[in-house]
Amino acid sequence: MTLLAPGLPDAPHPPRRQPRAEGAVRVAVEASGQGQGERPGAALRVRGPSSRLADLYQSGSARCLLPQGEPAATAVLINTAGGITGGDRFAWHARTGAGAELVLATQTAERAYRAQPGEVGRVDVTLELSPGARLDWLAQETILFDGSALERCLRVEMAEDAHLLVVEPVVLGRAAMGEQVTQAHFADRWEIRRGGRLIRAEATRLSGPVAEIAARPAVLAGQRAFATILYAAPDAERKLSMAREFLPKNCAGASYLRETLSIRLAAPDGAHLRSALRHLLAGLRDRPLPRVWTM
Amino acid sequence: MTEALLKLATWLSPSYPVGAFTYSHGFEAAIGDGAIHDAETLAAWIADTLEHGAGRTDAILLAHAWRDPVDEQVAELARALAPSSERLLEAEAQGNAFAATTAAAWGPDLPAAPYPVAIGRAAAQHGLPLEDTAALYLHAFASNLVSAGIRLIPLGQTEGQGVVARLAPLIRRIAAEAIGASLDDIGSACFIGDIAAMRHETQSVRLFRS
Repeated sequence: MTLLAPGLPDAPHPPRRQPRAEGAVRVAVEASGQGQGERPGAALRVRGPSSRLADLYQSGSARCLLPQGEPAATAVLINTAGGITGGDRFAWHARTGAGAELVLATQTAERAYRAQPGEVGRVDVTLELSPGARLDWLAQETILFDGSALERCLRVEMAEDAHLLVVEPVVLGRAAMGEQVTQAHFADRWEIRRGGRLIRAEATRLSGPVAEIAARPAVLAGQRAFATILYAAPDAERKLSMAREFLPKNCAGASYLRETLSIRLAAPDGAHLRSALRHLLAGLRDRPLPRVWTM
Repeated sequence: MTEALLKLATWLSPSYPVGAFTYSHGFEAAIGDGAIHDAETLAAWIADTLEHGAGRTDAILLAHAWRDPVDEQVAELARALAPSSERLLEAEAQGNAFAATTAAAWGPDLPAAPYPVAIGRAAAQHGLPLEDTAALYLHAFASNLVSAGIRLIPLGQTEGQGVVARLAPLIRRIAAEAIGASLDDIGSACFIGDIAAMRHETQSVRLFRS
């Protein structure tokens, strides 16, 4: 697969608008044994119940890799622009057919870089789960840099008996690199519909003097990393005690409400958050994490 | 004293039978962990909750319900946004009790809805001003958390009232901002506050339902 980098125009007359990156991926899987005939090369190698590719579309700075040898059908999403700045637009769309399984992960941490005043980067995620489908959305951390402006929207339409897992970690700068994030704008909206009913909404808003806000005791108490994990499935309530068992003793909580297991984690930095998430996901999921999560 | 203010003062008084005193919004867990231990830390947590958490979110939901009292989606959104089962109970049980009591005592009919939505609808039905309704709602919310702090930390009554007095300017500001905001502006950053509400579910000794 050829990965195309976006063209970076010369800047003879600064200031100029930032180069705008756009990209979209649409990926769909269906259970093997459905559809017409076998399509060599399109099958995703899995152990256990297998799923195969039904549709794949990629455009702009968005790419999707289908790594072989993963424990489940896996799609790895790549932003070839190397990050998101103001004005960028990314759309990730995944559909899991009846009885099919798909694990989606981002290839690496997403970086939200400084945006020009008034410019906002947008990421839209749309996930569709047919009856009996299972979809794991395992985003690696989004790192917010100083001056970044990012708005995200995650919409899910799932069948009553589908299994959905969503993991979204966010880190304010990279502590190890000594980066300070003073100002940023981050807004994240999630809407999970099951059988057409809105069962869960999340609205995160961290906007303005984020270092000051994160220092507040009921916000992050000076920590720089947080994650929300949702698990909506017929067995979600049964996983509550398991989730509590695999959570760190401090700065983490789990609750079951409205057909969803909801978990929040806060950590001093990205490394601690990642280690806590790996431990939790190893406990909650019955299979190893995709390789991109363990590198 | 105007008729509107009398209604709001009645509906949002601690003696109105919604059971407000049984909810701590997760503060009982934060007090148990030692994160809230005096007037200073109590005031800081309430301020965060007002500015970056449920206070602002509720005020926006209330304002939307006031402007569009028949919109059922706002009630659904309010339920879906609850970060923990006990916070959902806090919003629903108080809202349902408020709707039943208010419909019976003051009329007209008021359907069951999460607390801020029920208040916004009732205020619209009775022609009460939005900004005052939002400010009094936030004031009742903050005062209830102060009372929880007085019982749990414990804290002196006078110290507690000092916290209420200190929070008044913030309450006015959040109410004024929220009534100009739309549902798209909703958003919370109170992760530690949400985690406290979740941890409250497994706290061994509890006086409060949230």
